[in-house]
Amino acid sequence: MLPIQRSKGDAMNEHQDVALSVKNLKTFFYTNKRCNKAVNGVSFDIKKGKTLCIVGESGCGKSVTASTIMQLLPTLSRIEEGEITYHSEHGDIRIDQLERNGEKMRSIRGSEIAMIFQDPMTALNPVYTIGFQISESLKYHTDLSRSQYRTRAIELLRDMGISLPESRVDDYPHSYSGGMRQRAMIAMAMSCSPKILIADEPTTALDVTIQAQIFELMDKLKKEHGTAIMLITHDMGVVAELADEVAVMYMGNIVEAGTVDEVLRNPTHPYTRALLASIPVLGKGKNQNVEAIPGSTPDPYDRPKGCQFADRCAYRIAACDVMPDETQIGSTHRVMCWRHEEVGANAAE
Amino acid sequence: MLAYVIRRILILIPMALVISFLVYLGLELTPGDAVSHMISPEMMASISAERLDALRESLGLEQPFFVRYWIWLQGMLQGNFGYSTAGGVSIHTILSDRLPATLELSAVALLFSTIFGCVLGVISALKRGSTTDNVLTVTGMLGVSVPEFFFGLVAILIFALKLQWLPVGGRLLPGYDSYWDHVPHVIMPALVLSIMMTAGVMRYARSSMLDALSKEYIKTARSKGLPEWRVNLLHGFRVALTPVIVLIGFRLPVLIGGSVIIEQVYQWPGVGSEFISAVRSQDYPLVMMIALLSVMAVLTASLLVDILTALIDPRVRLDK
Repeated sequence: MLPIQRSKGDAMNEHQDVALSVKNLKTFFYTNKRCNKAVNGVSFDIKKGKTLCIVGESGCGKSVTASTIMQLLPTLSRIEEGEITYHSEHGDIRIDQLERNGEKMRSIRGSEIAMIFQDPMTALNPVYTIGFQISESLKYHTDLSRSQYRTRAIELLRDMGISLPESRVDDYPHSYSGGMRQRAMIAMAMSCSPKILIADEPTTALDVTIQAQIFELMDKLKKEHGTAIMLITHDMGVVAELADEVAVMYMGNIVEAGTVDEVLRNPTHPYTRALLASIPVLGKGKNQNVEAIPGSTPDPYDRPKGCQFADRCAYRIAACDVMPDETQIGSTHRVMCWRHEEVGANAAE
Repeated sequence: MLAYVIRRILILIPMALVISFLVYLGLELTPGDAVSHMISPEMMASISAERLDALRESLGLEQPFFVRYWIWLQGMLQGNFGYSTAGGVSIHTILSDRLPATLELSAVALLFSTIFGCVLGVISALKRGSTTDNVLTVTGMLGVSVPEFFFGLVAILIFALKLQWLPVGGRLLPGYDSYWDHVPHVIMPALVLSIMMTAGVMRYARSSMLDALSKEYIKTARSKGLPEWRVNLLHGFRVALTPVIVLIGFRLPVLIGGSVIIEQVYQWPGVGSEFISAVRSQDYPLVMMIALLSVMAVLTASLLVDILTALIDPRVRLDK
């Protein structure tokens, strides 16, 4: 195995399984001379063969984080601070320092880190066949010859559970169903065996049965290929089902992160608790108490001074006017809250 | 795809029949008949009713409307378009004289405007908000709003009179008829004729391209690590092309029937100038023929548009 270069003297074995690490990432958007701090200091690791789920409500910066890793941000935004390090087989690559659509970045996209999108209805180009769209990736990232593209595309579609792949490969996206399109998207993303798969709410546009099938497929890929998965979702059920690790985002910060057990069983941030309390439970009947989080997310251009969640928080105290620091409460569990001990104690009850 | 094309052509036949019927009916509804167009009013006053009837009978005018339509239609299908009442020349001769000139002018103008319009539109969209984009936008607005005869006159003033690079007008000088001799004559009227359309195509291509570039699949294409030219042209422009083709297609008949002004400005011996003189001299058979021709041009253009859009966008091909 190739030696892995580390910038700091971290223990080797601890980091050998990290595929990508993000440190204090800040991505800001600029519109009309105003600045939206969409991602405001986020750190996490994506580990090989593990699934990291990023949860949070709309607008919290989940998708921007994903786009930042792929350098697919819109023109009026930029990485303000922080590091994104991809630990490739040939040494570390600082993605944040690469030119946006430069050659180096393009060689990582699709072949090392692939992405699937929320709405498979619009994410596939309607005027090209599925086979063509898969072979485009193969053309730029593999040594396969033109005649092998088709065979490989058929193979991929079959792996993704598409029936009659030999004829389906020549079909256009409009003759695929929603679930099939998402399978085709995953086939496309997996075509060059990427080390990391970023899935941005891959099942939001699909119905529940198809959701389950897509997640099963992703889980299979993770186990068979050791692909690291970063799954963006706002569905806590999905998190419980698939995640190895969870990061809860709110207004551009990761407010709580840890293993799935730590975060779901012992939430120490009021927002995580509120999220979990707001899930209706099947079988409890129609009279169950679903506790919605009061208020709404603040205007990103007019943020509260301290803790972003303070205005909606039941645990609010005077100290919350100052942004809390991140506290490491276990080897993997971290939280950003002044009163995490009390919140944690309440949760344990 | 072939089935689609054949079906589209088959639909065209009844449409053409209905339209030819309407054009014929239109002529029937105008006051007087062929005889009254052929004989001067002075003669008409002195001529006896029997002679008029005999003349009508010899022309087949006593027969019912539908029979006459049928005879006329048969004649049309055999290329017998009748005779101009103004000069007595066969319409076939007039058209074979005039049509190539108009087609030459329109084809060159269409080619110019399509190429320039698309290229400039795409550049404008890719560099949105830049100086290039702003300059192109203003120029485009000017191109659309300033009438073409103005550009025509200015161009004559500059390139023909001041610089003397190009001839003032006309199509060919007697004795010069190689392909290259066409070029200096056609280039100025064609460019002037294409200005307005270039501007239109450019604006349309720009907005269509911007629309396409904002789609999710562009992000997908980038996320696959494709180079920018491939993302923009193969994924963006190909999709953006469909509405542009519709626009160009429906300008086609306008170019064929409507280059009247430019043909006048440049003394171009085309259908447009013939149309004007035919209307002036109440030359009904010729007017009817030219009207029928522009209607056919519209039908052909819509067929072409349908085929091209089906080629570009598979969702248009409804059959399997």
